[in-house]
Amino acid sequence: MTDLTDREEDQTIAAEYALGLLTPPEARAFEARLAVDPQLRADYALWAEDFVALTDAIAPVVPPKSVLTGIEAQLFPQQKRSLLERLGLLPAMLGGLTAALVVLFVTNQGWLDQPGVGPAYTASAQIAAEDQSLVVLARFDPAAGALRIERSAGGALPGRALELWLIAGDNPPVSLGLLPQTATGDIAVPEALLASLDGGVLAISDEPPGGSPTGAPTGAVLAVGAVTTI
Amino acid sequence: MSSTADIETLIARMALGDRAAFSALYTATSAKLFGVALRVLDNRAEAEDALQEVFVKVWRAAGTYQVNGLSPMTWLITITRNHAIDRLRARRGATGGMDELAELADLTPGPEALAIASSDSGRIAGCLGQLEPDRADAVRRAYVEGETYDELARRYGVPLNTIRTWLRRSLLKLRECLSS
Repeated sequence: MTDLTDREEDQTIAAEYALGLLTPPEARAFEARLAVDPQLRADYALWAEDFVALTDAIAPVVPPKSVLTGIEAQLFPQQKRSLLERLGLLPAMLGGLTAALVVLFVTNQGWLDQPGVGPAYTASAQIAAEDQSLVVLARFDPAAGALRIERSAGGALPGRALELWLIAGDNPPVSLGLLPQTATGDIAVPEALLASLDGGVLAISDEPPGGSPTGAPTGAVLAVGAVTTI
Repeated sequence: MSSTADIETLIARMALGDRAAFSALYTATSAKLFGVALRVLDNRAEAEDALQEVFVKVWRAAGTYQVNGLSPMTWLITITRNHAIDRLRARRGATGGMDELAELADLTPGPEALAIASSDSGRIAGCLGQLEPDRADAVRRAYVEGETYDELARRYGVPLNTIRTWLRRSLLKLRECLSS
């Protein structure tokens, strides 16, 4: 009987909390219990789901464009037109241990491609950290359907891997796979992604061995470079 | 409106800093959330500010979503509702405003609104219908208008302790009905 009363008390106070009826000290005390009591969290979640149905009858209203502009200005200041901001990689970069500033090196075709030598590359990108701690040249060889990777500086940290990402426009980064551990090697580009290479951006992030477990960059973005078509 | 799974995926991607996911979430949910903010605040400029603050919060809190046990739209609407009510209460405090309460619209949804209410809302509406009308009205006012015990006591002309006792009893009845 006492237990039932306690349960009822918990259910009631969870409702009062969900409605915002508790005084600030009561609400703080409830939140302290909430943090350690899964049953109480379930009570609260139940009320939150039930009460939210009271908003079902509220008709959607399209907000003015200025709201989104304001949000973006607040969340992504200054980088408004920067490459990183467009890539959606900034938070990942800031969250990483190596929050190095990254700048873009547009490929200088004059020195990258020596005329008449080697394969006929159709696209290339220099993916580099600003301090040159990581520099990777990636060139697309259409005959092989692969990016030829040449890493001239830097590498994965011990127990970590470097993952290569392709970003097209505002789309989320798509993994192209792990960089070879050797300084040179190939990374095959799936045919479906070939069109995205043109005008796309390549980025390298620090990831656990085997690569990002989530399908999106999870570690610091170490280097970025735009793809230029040759 | 995107499906629950879609919105959950977008929130998960936002937690990883994916701005495209943020844009997609904004496109899918901003009209509903703006409707809620407008309904609570009854002031367009304030609702716009509130919506902006809500999406900034949502972006920053995306990583905590998975542990809270709420469905994604409940999470988003609850953040919006709570934020709008904080603003509303600050405004009432600033203007000393119990007088404004009488001007707030009646909460009873009109026929058009009822027509678009989903089946989910039928459950709580049905259970509220089993309470005495003024008590059901008090629950709605607390949720949608953010009215406090103090304000409800004044509205119904009863002492604070009395309103708390009967509202708590009503909430317990409501829980029994909702869980049955």
